[in-house]
Formats: sequence, C-alpha cells, structure tokens
Amino acid sequence: MNTLAGTPLPATSAARSSAAMTVATKEWLELRRDPRGRVLAVLVGLLMLLALVSGALQFERGHGERDAAQAADQTLWRSQGDKDPHGAAHFGQWAFKPPSLLALADPGVDAYSGGAVWMEAHKRNEMQFRPARDAGVSARMGGLTLAFVLQAVLPLVIIVLGFNAFSGERERGTLRQLLGQGTTPWQLAVGKMCALACGLGWLLLPLAALLALCGAWLAEPGQGGQAAARAFGWTAGHALYLAGFVALTVAVSALAPSSRAALVSLLALWLLLSFVAPRVMTEVARSAVPLPSAQDFRERISAERTKTFGHDENHPAFAAYKAELLKQHGVQKVEDLPLNFRGLALRRDDEAGYAIHDRLFGELEWSIDRQDLLRAAPGAVLPLLAMQPWSMALAGTDTRAHRHFAQAAEQHRRVIQTITSDDLIRNARYGDTRYVSPAALWAKVPPFEYAPPSAAWALAGTGPALGGLLLWLLLTGVFAAWSSRRLRAV
Amino acid sequence: MNTTTTTVPSGNLAAAGSHGAGPMRTAMACELRLLRADAAFWIVLVLMVASVCYGVAAGARHWQSQAALVAAAQADEQKRLSSLRKNFDEVSAGRVTPASPFRDPRSALWVGLTHAATPVAISPGPLAIAAVGLSDLHPSTVKVSARTKDEFLFADEIRNPLHLLAGAVDLAFVLVFVLPLAVLALTYNLVSGEREQGTLALTACTGADLRRVLLAKLLVRAGLPLLVTLVSMTAALTLASSGAAMSWALAGLLLATALYGGCWAALAAAVNSRGHDSAHNALALSAAWIVLVLVVPAAVNTLADTLFAVPSRAEMVLAVRGASVDSDRERDASLARYREEHPQAQPDELQRGSPRERVARRLATVDASASRAQLVVTRHDAQLARRQNLVDGLAYLSPALLMQLATADLAGTGGGAYSAFYARVDQFHAQWRDFFLSRARADQALTAADLTAFPRFLARPAGVDPTTVASRLVGLALLLAVLSLWAWTGLRRSERT
Repeated sequence: MNTLAGTPLPATSAARSSAAMTVATKEWLELRRDPRGRVLAVLVGLLMLLALVSGALQFERGHGERDAAQAADQTLWRSQGDKDPHGAAHFGQWAFKPPSLLALADPGVDAYSGGAVWMEAHKRNEMQFRPARDAGVSARMGGLTLAFVLQAVLPLVIIVLGFNAFSGERERGTLRQLLGQGTTPWQLAVGKMCALACGLGWLLLPLAALLALCGAWLAEPGQGGQAAARAFGWTAGHALYLAGFVALTVAVSALAPSSRAALVSLLALWLLLSFVAPRVMTEVARSAVPLPSAQDFRERISAERTKTFGHDENHPAFAAYKAELLKQHGVQKVEDLPLNFRGLALRRDDEAGYAIHDRLFGELEWSIDRQDLLRAAPGAVLPLLAMQPWSMALAGTDTRAHRHFAQAAEQHRRVIQTITSDDLIRNARYGDTRYVSPAALWAKVPPFEYAPPSAAWALAGTGPALGGLLLWLLLTGVFAAWSSRRLRAV
Repeated sequence: MNTTTTTVPSGNLAAAGSHGAGPMRTAMACELRLLRADAAFWIVLVLMVASVCYGVAAGARHWQSQAALVAAAQADEQKRLSSLRKNFDEVSAGRVTPASPFRDPRSALWVGLTHAATPVAISPGPLAIAAVGLSDLHPSTVKVSARTKDEFLFADEIRNPLHLLAGAVDLAFVLVFVLPLAVLALTYNLVSGEREQGTLALTACTGADLRRVLLAKLLVRAGLPLLVTLVSMTAALTLASSGAAMSWALAGLLLATALYGGCWAALAAAVNSRGHDSAHNALALSAAWIVLVLVVPAAVNTLADTLFAVPSRAEMVLAVRGASVDSDRERDASLARYREEHPQAQPDELQRGSPRERVARRLATVDASASRAQLVVTRHDAQLARRQNLVDGLAYLSPALLMQLATADLAGTGGGAYSAFYARVDQFHAQWRDFFLSRARADQALTAADLTAFPRFLARPAGVDPTTVASRLVGLALLLAVLSLWAWTGLRRSERT
C-alpha cells in the first residue's frame, strides 16, 4: 500500500461519491505493482494447486477403493450358497462410504468418523475404521488441503498485504495530505478494502471455477451440477470469511499507532482466531455436553433390548407374543400356524429393536449436535468456528453428512432383515432347524447404493454457520467504520 | 509482543570491559533489568505458565477419563465372569439345561468367542499426561476374544469427530505451537530494535564484542521463557503424575523442549542478522512459524498420504468374510461327500443345523478367517511402516514435526507405543485362542478349574523406544546447530558492516 499523495481527487460533492472507487483503483494498481503481492499470489496459487491435485488424487484413490470394496462385498453376499436366511442376516453386508466430491477441497471429519458400517441382524453398528488412527501422530498436525490454505494461510496473506494500509500512510505523512484533499476516512477505508477484496477475487474466482470443473469432471454422470453448486457455495462462504479479515486488517491498521503495532496485533489476533480459539471451544463443548462412553451406550441398548426377546425363548415377551399369535389364528400349537413362527418372532423382535435404536442413536446424535452448536456459537467473533462447519457441510464431509450415510445404511439393514425374515415366515416349517434358503434369495436383496445428499440439503444445515459468517462480516465492517472515524492523521 | 528494545547501557559494558568482568555477564544482567520493566515480558511468562498448567491439566483429565473407561470395562468383565461361573455351577449341577451351545457355559468355543472376552488396555507411561497423542483415536480397551482380530480391534470409543479433528490442548500442543511464539515475541527485534533506537552503534562504540552482547541478550530473552516453561512443566507434571519426576522420559522431554526452544531463538537471531527492520523481522519469523509449524508438517502428511496411502481396512473385512463363505462351502461339500460315501452313518456333528455341527462349522470359520486376516494385517502393517519411515525421514525438515513426534514418543502415546501394544495384544490373542479353541477342537468341555485359569493380559506401562527418541533429539540438536551457525555468521557479517 503505497502513498496516494499527489493523486488529485474530485472536489465536488457529486464526484466525491466516487472517491472511494478512485482510492480503490489506485490501491489496486499499487497492489499489483507491489512485489510482496506478486510473490504471495504465486505462492498461494501454488499451494492451492498442490492441495487441489493431491486432493483429487486422494479422491480418485478413495473412490476406487470404495467402489471395489462395495462390489466385492455384494459378490460375497450373493455367493453364500444355500443357507439359513437368519444366518445370512447375521452375516449381513458392509456399507462403505464413498468420499464426497468436494472432499478434495475439505476432507473435514472423514478421517475421524469411520468409513464403513456392518449391517447385521439385531444390531445397529456404529461407523468403523477411522483412517486417522492409522495415519500416526504427525497427521494430527493436518494436511495440505484447499480448506487449510483458505482458512489459515489466506487470512495471513491479507494481514501481510494490508497491515500498513493506514499506518503506512501515516508514517510517510501522506495520510494528512489525503485527508486534506477532502477524502473522508471512510472513503479511504472502503477504497483500501475494495483493493484487497479485488486481490482476493482474483484468487477465489478462478479457484471456484477450477473446483467446479474438477468436481463436474470427477462426478458421477448427472451429478456435475450438484458438484458445481457445492463448489460455488463453498467458495462464497470463504469469500465472506476472508472479507471479514480484510475489514479487520484495515480497521486495526487505522487504529494502531504504528505499522509494527498493527502487524503484531494482527498476527496475535490471527493466531488466536485460527489456532487457539477452536481448540479451547472444543474443550468447552466437550465439558458442557459430555457424551456417553461406548460401553455405557451399548449397555443402554442392551438394557432396552432385554425388554424384547431376541433369541431367548424363555423371555416373558416371547411367551406373550406366542400366545397372542395362537389366539389371533385360533390354533393351539405354533406348528399349526399358517406361517413360520420363528420368522414371525424374528420380525417382531427386529421391529422392537428398530424403535430402540432410533431413540438411543437419536439421543446420541442430539448430544453431538449440541456440542457442535455450542462450539460454533461464537462464530461471529471467532470466525473459524463458523467457517469450518460451512466448509465441511458444503464439502459433504461434516458429521451431518456422515449421519446421512449411516442412516441410509440402517435403512438398508432393515431391508435385509425384512427379506430374510419373510423367507423364513413363508417357506420354513416350524422346528426345522435344517431349513436353508436357496442362493437365489440373496439376489432379491438389492445392492447397497448410496445417493449422496443434494447441495440444497447440505445448505439446509448451515443456518448457524452462515449466520455466524454474515455477522462476522457485519461486525468487522462496523469495526472498520468505527476505527476509520477515529483515524488520526499523525 | 511489542517488547522494549532499549540497549544495554554502554557505560556498564565499557566499565565491565575495563574491569575485566565478562561483557556477556554484564549484558545479561542489564538485559534482565530492562526486561523486568517490560510488561510484554511478564505477559509472555504468565501466558506460558498458564498454558503449560492448562495443557498438563487437560492431559490429566483425558487420562482420568480413560482410566474410568478401563475400570468400567474391567467391572463389566467381572460381572460377566461371575455370571458365567454361577451359570456353570447351575448347569454342572443339572439344575439348568442350556437352550443352545451359545448359552452353554461349558462350551469352550462360545465362552472363548463371547462370554469371557477380556478387556485389555494400554497402560499409560509416567509422562502420558504430556501428550494425548493417538490415545483419543484408539479405544480405551480392546476386548480380546477368540474371534478374528477385525471383530475387536476396531471397536472405537464414542467421540465427536469434529473434536478429534480439532485436537487437544495438551502440553504437546503448548510446546509445539505456543512455545515458539513466546520465544519469537521476545526475540523478533533482538538486533533491529537496537538499530531502530540508535543504540546498536552506541554499544559497538564501547569496544565490547557485539556478537557476545547480542548472544547475552538472546540468552536472556529466549532463555527466560524457556526456563520458566521447563520449570513449570516439571512442577506441573510432577504434581499431576507421581511417577513423572523421576523418569528419564521427563529428562528427555526437558531436553527436547530446550533444543526446540533453542531452534526458534537461533532462527530469530539469524533473521535479525539480516539487517532488516523489526516489522520485517516479525513478518519473516511469523512466516517461518507458519511454514515450519503448519505448512511443512501438512505437506509431509499429504506427501505420505499420496505416496504411501493408508490402506483401507475394507480389504481385511472382505478377506475375513470371504474366508467365512469359503469355509461354509468347504464344510457343505465335505458333509455332502461324507453322506454320499457313508449313507448309513449320520453322526450328530455331521447333521447340518445340529448344535454340534454348528459348533464345528463355527470353529472352521474362525480358523479360516484368522489366517486370512493375518495375511492382510501383515501387508497393512508393512504399508504403515513405510509411511511412518517417510514421515520420520522428512520430519527433519521441521523442528515442530520432530518435537510433535518426540513428545508423543516420550509420553508413550505415539505410533511406536501403540504398535508395541498391539504386538502384545497379538501374542495374548494367540494365547487366548489356543486356550479355548484347542479345547473346542478336542470337543472338550470347560471345567471348573478352567474357569479360574483363563489367560490374563499382563499390564505393562507403554514403553519408550530410546533409539527413536534419540534420533528425534539428535535431529533437533542438528537443526539447532545449523540455525546457530547461520545466526553466528550472519551476526559476524552484520558486525563488520
């Protein structure tokens, strides 16, 4: 940000309205000529390109592995041969989560939430196999992703380019001249912010286009539009986040007594906002809304399940169900029932289990949602806490997207149970422990096919994050206006 | 961070020189006096002490909750075993008839596969509270049974994935991320501040060796926050963990911290020797912090992910399932052959669906699955080792990455400690399988004596591999030497000019 001294500014009141634009044009010109700007633009561009390429490679690998695993599991399911249908239900199937397209930009919680779930009889299992567990301690320091570049590095670039926006002018004595020509501090601030925002635009717009193209290219047929919409939404959120940093930088520069003080204050703020606050808020959320341990959770499910009979023929509920069926069909013995009693009992038990799982998993999910809401609550002043949920939601790598997959898997598990129990009900003779279903039955269970949610669905869950980002922009804008009012020429 | 940069009073130095006293000692004393009057200095010290205490407390909380989880798992085991013994007595006395082999407490197969499954846990070392490391990603206990490993090794603890992503605010975080900032905040204007205030030339005029004076200033400005960090972490770790005070792991952690802090101080001196102003130095050192603490580790991880991608666990799941299907088929085929060849002989264990046949079938499946799972796990582990070797090699590019790895290694929460733990679990798993499956294969029922002789996992604190730790410490020392050399030659050049 070099001097604007000597740039004649319009003096009439009508022309004064365009003074901000004149400042912006001049600042933009200076920014382009500033070697710092050019070097940083090239460095950031390279980092983004590297992140994009490595993200695309990992997406391709993950996608290929997942498709192969899902197909192999389907082959195994169908190759079981003649078998007891309930035994097959216990064998179950596995659902492997496909990587979201925009995981190449922000892998989010993918590495921490498990990528596969076993769909077996009686039990709703949790997602398993967190890749982070295998990746070692170094992986806790993060990876080079587009999200990392945009959320951690770009705010710093803005600070480096803008920390002396006002303080530099003041130190060179050109601020007094500018104000003397009739330019208001607010016009100056707007002009300087516009120039920085313009620089950002030059980085973000091509990125959005590249990301959309990349997404459309890697997407399944017909999903290109969704990928593009997510890419533009993702970039737009980052634009709000970074625009707030532009306003904050200019505001601090206006208030700081010197460029050095501005730089040091902004660096401290950046560290606080980007590194300290997210971890501290995580601790706060964890303490405020504790989660049950896996053992407690399973014990609760188990305790609820003892109210149903499972395979226990001595359970009072089993006897009651048996009596109810006999009465309903007007027979004395289960052997006289028109349908297989074992199959009917399994179906009854499954249905009771569904309600228990829905309730208890729902409670667990509610607790996790509360933690996430609490963590994101100060997003207006600690913007990374709003930025991350937005970014992960649009990338399809947040907890909500994982839950969408887990619920799809649970629905499929129920389809397996229904088909296998139905076969027992209709075809097995009561008491025949040797009954086996023909291999053709396995083909009647449709393969697990997961349709990722739409961009609109992803957006529907981002209300608090979007609110946080908009408020962050508003607050930093107000801060910039307030500090420009307090601008001292010397 | 805006620290006072007033120079050492030149008169003192001249006097020190004339009286033969070391100018370094005098310069250090003067610098200390100046710093004592600087609010920023006290803020940095207080922040460091608070951060260290918070980090240690967070680590202690984490391990307390882990210990509670382990205790709950052990209580659950006692409850199950007690119920098993009671049931055994009932069945042995003929008062109860089990409805199926699964419910039979004498069934070696089902007791080994399910009812007697025992929780085993990594025992935290004396410094575990220093670094959460991988302990929040691994289950607090592994419930070992005679099943294949894939059925119990990956039963994760319930965690909010977003929290795992964010990481913990433990002592390791404070040391790796915050300590360098404290050092840089006090040293970024080591030379430039003097120059900007015109006191550098004044000091040079005294005839004192300028480099020694600057070294003295560096020792005070970087040494004090470092010393305060070392003292506070020793005190906090000793208070929070009774075994930490005497452990050589603590000595290793203190040494690693001193070397790491020294690296950042040397870097600050090197940047200062370039002759730029304080704003430029602050910028350059911030950029260095970002590159060394954030970008290089992130790039190393991404490179490792690209070159030696962590293989999907799907392969193991599918191998075990494939073994199960194949084993079923083989058994069906052999039963069919037997029936064909011996149409009159139909023993119970060959009647499909009979209780004994189901046990024999399950036993065959468990054996087939275990051997296939082992093949995949061996391949998987080899790939992980290649990945870790690459990370270990590239860690020398970043003192932060070296420090992160060293802290986790010393705390016994790094990859090495977990590999060693799972190797022991492997041995125990083999012992467990042998105990139960050998009896099941021999169609031998469990006896009352067997019930009190189940294999037990011997808890042993997570070990620290001295070779690995030494290599990390040597790496930090090398980086410190290189940076110090750079700073020393740079200061000599700037002294001449």
